[in-house]
Amino acid sequence: MNRVMSNKFIISLYILPALLLILVLIYIPIVLTGYYGLMKWDGIGDMTFIGLDNYIRLLSDNQFWRSSYHSLLLAIFSTVSLLGYLTISLILATKIKGANFLRKIYLIPMLLSSVAIAQLWLKIYHPTNGLLNSILIAIGVNNPPAWLADRNLVLIAIFIAIIWQYAGFYILIYYAALKNIPESIIEAARIDGATPVQIAYRIKLPLISGVFKVTIILAIIGSLKYFDLIWIMTGGGPAGASEVIASYMYKNAFTMYNFGYGSAVGFYLLLFCLLGTWLIRKLTSTKDEIQY
Amino acid sequence: MRKMKSSLLVFLAILLGLVGCGSPAQPEGGGGTTTGADEVTINFMHLWPAGSSAQHNRIVESIISEYEENNPGVNINVDVLSNDQYKETMTVLASSRQLPDVGLTWAAGYMTPFIQGNMFTPLDDILEGGLGESFIPGTTEAFAANDTTYGLPLELNIAPIYYNKNIFAEYDLDVPETYEEFKNVVQTLQANGVIPITVGNREPWTGSMWYMYLADRFGGPETLTNAINRTGTFEDPALIQAAEEIQNLVDMNAFVRGFNGIGNEEAKGPFMNEQAAMYLMGTWELPNYTTNEDVPQEFRESIGFFKFPVVEGGAGDIDSFVGGPGVGLFVSENSQVKEQSKEFVRFFVERWGERAVTDAGVIPATRVETGELDLPDMYIEVLEELANASNITLYADVQMSAAVAQTHLDLIQSLYGGDITPEEFARRHEEALAAEQ
Amino acid sequence: MEKTHNPSNVSGKIGYALLYLVLGIIAVFQVYPLIWLVLFSLKSNREVFNASPFALPAEPRWENYVNAWTQGNIGLYFFNSVWITIVSVVLTVILASLVTFAITRMVWKLNKLVLGLFMIGLMIPVHSTLIPLFSFFLSINLIDNPLAIILTYTAFNLPLTIMILLGFYYTLPREVEEAAVIDGCSIHRIFFQITLPMTMPVISTTGIINMIYNWNEFVFINTFIRSDHYRTLTVGIQSFIGQYATDWGAIGATLVISILPILIAFFILSNKIVEGIAAGAVKG
Repeated sequence: MNRVMSNKFIISLYILPALLLILVLIYIPIVLTGYYGLMKWDGIGDMTFIGLDNYIRLLSDNQFWRSSYHSLLLAIFSTVSLLGYLTISLILATKIKGANFLRKIYLIPMLLSSVAIAQLWLKIYHPTNGLLNSILIAIGVNNPPAWLADRNLVLIAIFIAIIWQYAGFYILIYYAALKNIPESIIEAARIDGATPVQIAYRIKLPLISGVFKVTIILAIIGSLKYFDLIWIMTGGGPAGASEVIASYMYKNAFTMYNFGYGSAVGFYLLLFCLLGTWLIRKLTSTKDEIQY
Repeated sequence: MRKMKSSLLVFLAILLGLVGCGSPAQPEGGGGTTTGADEVTINFMHLWPAGSSAQHNRIVESIISEYEENNPGVNINVDVLSNDQYKETMTVLASSRQLPDVGLTWAAGYMTPFIQGNMFTPLDDILEGGLGESFIPGTTEAFAANDTTYGLPLELNIAPIYYNKNIFAEYDLDVPETYEEFKNVVQTLQANGVIPITVGNREPWTGSMWYMYLADRFGGPETLTNAINRTGTFEDPALIQAAEEIQNLVDMNAFVRGFNGIGNEEAKGPFMNEQAAMYLMGTWELPNYTTNEDVPQEFRESIGFFKFPVVEGGAGDIDSFVGGPGVGLFVSENSQVKEQSKEFVRFFVERWGERAVTDAGVIPATRVETGELDLPDMYIEVLEELANASNITLYADVQMSAAVAQTHLDLIQSLYGGDITPEEFARRHEEALAAEQ
Repeated sequence: MEKTHNPSNVSGKIGYALLYLVLGIIAVFQVYPLIWLVLFSLKSNREVFNASPFALPAEPRWENYVNAWTQGNIGLYFFNSVWITIVSVVLTVILASLVTFAITRMVWKLNKLVLGLFMIGLMIPVHSTLIPLFSFFLSINLIDNPLAIILTYTAFNLPLTIMILLGFYYTLPREVEEAAVIDGCSIHRIFFQITLPMTMPVISTTGIINMIYNWNEFVFINTFIRSDHYRTLTVGIQSFIGQYATDWGAIGATLVISILPILIAFFILSNKIVEGIAAGAVKG
C-alpha cells in the first residue's frame, strides 16, 4: 500500500505544475512586496533604501491601526454570519419542499461582479431615491439616515452588502459538504427515531466540522483582504470611517504615490492573515478528522 | 483511460514548457516600434472612453485619422482607459519604464514624480515658432518645472455656480452678488423643500472647490496658495473663517442630504432632474447645459450660471475663479519614436483648439477665435468671464503633492461631516505640509 | 428522487409555516435588489427620481438595453470572457485535484510544508502583486497575452480550490481506493477512475466558485491586457458605467447585461452538475 502511494516520481508529477505556478506568480510578488517595503519609492522614479523605516513608521500611524480595526470588525462580523449561512444550509439539506429553488435564489448575489454589486448597493443606500430609505419612509420613519455619509453607520451598511454578497458562496460550500455525507448514515439515524434537528446537530455538524473550519479561515482571510466593494462604494470615506487595510494600502500606493509605504502595509496585511490563520488553527484544533 | 493519461501528461508538459519560457508575444506598447524604413507606430493612451466622454473621444479619433492620412507610414495605436484606471495604469507602466509614447497627465503636483523620475521629455522646442503664443498665459506654466515645459495643456476650466432659472423664478430669487444674499437664497430654497446645492463630497475635490472660493473671497487670491507653498499658513484667519463658513452652510442644510456618501456623478442627478437649484462645477460641464442632445432641451435652456458672490469686507473680488488647466499631453522620455511623437503632439494641440470649441463645447487651453463660429450664448459668456478673470486659482489638490492632497481631501470630508473644528482643520493641514518639508 | 417530509401534527405544521416564512424573507432579501435593478433599468431618469421606487416602469425603455448592447465590442469581450474563464477553471480544478490527491492520499515527507506553501497564497492582497507581476510578465514577454491572465487566474485560485477540496478529501471514505491498490491498480487509474468521480460534487462547487471569480475579475485583466482584442466583459462594462453616470436606467441595463449570462449559465449548470451526480459514488 504505502509503497505504491509513495512513488516519488508520481508525487512530483502531481505536485510540481501547480507548485511551480504559485512559486513564480505568488511567491515572487510576496518577496518583492517585502523588499519594496524597505524602500522609499513612488513607483515611478528611483528607489532609495531606507531599511525598516516604513515598517516602523506604520506602527505609530493612527490611520493604519484604525483601518486594521475596521478590518478586524469585518472579520468578526463575517465569522459570526457563517453560523447563519450554516443554519440555512442545514435546513436546505433536509430536503424540505422547495429547498432546491430556495438554494438557487440564495446563490444569486454571488454571481455578480463586485462592480455590479457596489453599483447596486450605492443605489439601494442612496439618501433620497434609494430603495432602503424609500422603504423606511413608506413605513413612517422620518428623516432616515444617509447611510454611506454617516461615519457611524457606513461600516454596518457595507457589512450588510458583504453578507449579502457572500451568502451564496458559503451556502454552496456547506451544501456540497452536506451532500457528501453518505445517505446511509442519515437513514440509520432516522430509523432510530432521531428528529431532523437532532440529525443536523449530532450527525451532520460533526461530519462537516472540517469544512466549517476551512470556511472560518476563508472568512477571516477574506475579510482582512477585503477591498473592492468598499473602494467603489465609499473609497474608505467619509474621512477614513470605512478605511480597511487593503484600501489603505491601495490609497498609499496608487493615489499617494508612496509605493514603499503601501508595500509595507501589504506586508503587514500578510502577517495579520498568517497570524489569524494560526490563531484559528490553535483555537479549533480538535482530535483528528472524523472518519466514517 | 490510457489515452486520457497520456494526453494529460502532454498537457502538463506543455504547461511546464509555457511557464518555463514565455512564448513570444507581440512587442509590448512601451516604446513605439519602427519597422521598415518609414513605418512608425506611436502608442497613445488617453482617458476619454467612447462612453463617458463621447465628444472628446470622437475628436481624438478624428484628429488621429486625419494625422494618419497626412502622414502615411505613421500608425497611431490608441489605448483608452477611464479616469481611475488611467491613473493606476500610469503608475504600473511607469514602474517598469513602459509609458506610452504619448499620453495625458495632470498638472503640477501629479506630474512632479514623473518629472523627477525622468519619465517625460521636455517639450519646449514644440512651443517655439508660434505655438507657444497661442496658449492662454499661465496654462503651460502649470505643466512646467524648472523653466522646462513637460506637458501641453488641452483644456482650461473655471468653476462657476450653475443654477436653475426656473426654480429661482418660482421663488422670486435673484442671482446673489453678495454672500449674504446667497445665504438668503439658500434659506428660501431650503424652506420651500428644494435642495439648495448639490455636491458629491464622496469625491472631496468637489467640496474643496467651495472651500477654495470662500478662502478666496475672505482672504484674497494669494492666501490659500501661499499656505500651500509654505510662504503662508493654513492658520490664517481668513482660511479658518472659510472653514467655519463651510460648516455654517452644512448647518443650514444648504447641501444635498448625504453629500459625503454621494459621488460627483450621482450628485448631478438632483440638479439634472430639477430637484436641486445650484451646482458648482468646472466648465467641462457646459455641454450638458448647451449642446448635449441627450439632455432635454427645456432643461438646458433653464440653466444659467453666476460667479461666486463676494463677502462684505473680504479681500477677494468677484472675478477671481477657481479652475485651471485640466489634462495635458506628454511625450515619454523612453520613447523610441520621440521626434515623431512630438510632431503628433504639435498637430494634436493645434487641431484640438479648433475642434474642442466646435464639436465638444469645452474650452481649450489655446486662444479661441469666436468671431467666425456659431456658439451657444452660455459658452460665449463663459469665454468672456475667462478673458476678464482677475485671477484663476489652481485646484488645491492639484497644487499639492499626492500625499498632502490626500490629507487635504480627507480633511475636507471631515470638515463637511462636522468631525473636526475649523481650527483643527487648519492645524492638521499645517502638520501634513510640515511633514513634507 | 427527492424525499420530502410531510409533518402530520399541528405544531409541526406551524413550525414549518414559520420556517418557510423566514426562508421566504431571506429569499426576498437576496433577490429583490436584483428585481429592483431590472425595474429601474427600464425606467427613465424622471421616473427614477420622481416616482416610487416600487412602481413598475410606465413604458419600459428597451432602448437602454439597445444602447448598452450596441456600444463597442460587446460580442468580442463576451467571447474572451467565456474562453478565458473556461480554460482557467479547467486548469485550476485539474491541478488542484492532483495536488490535493498527492497531499491527502500519498505518503511523503514534505507534504505539510507544500500544503503550507499553497495556503499562504490565500493571503496575498491582489494589489500588492500588481507591479511585481507586471514587471515579471514584461520580462518574459507575456504582457498583452491572454496566457498571462490564465496563468495568473490559475495561480491565484489554486489555494482556495485546494483548501475546499481538502476538506472533502479528508472526509471521503478510503476503502475503495485501498481496495484498488490491493487489486494492483496504478495510481493514475485510481485518481482518474475512482477519486475524481467521487469528488465530482465538490469539483463542481469549486468549478462554480472559480468560474464566478474569473468571470468577474477586473484588476489583472485591466493591467496585463493592453489591446482591445483580448479585453473581457468586466473591462467593457466598467467603461460603460461611467458614461451614463446620471442615467440610472442605462446603468441598470448595463449591469443586467453583464449579469444575465452568468445567471443563465449557473441555472443550467447547477442542475446538471450539483444535482445530476450522485454524491455517494460509494454504495454499500
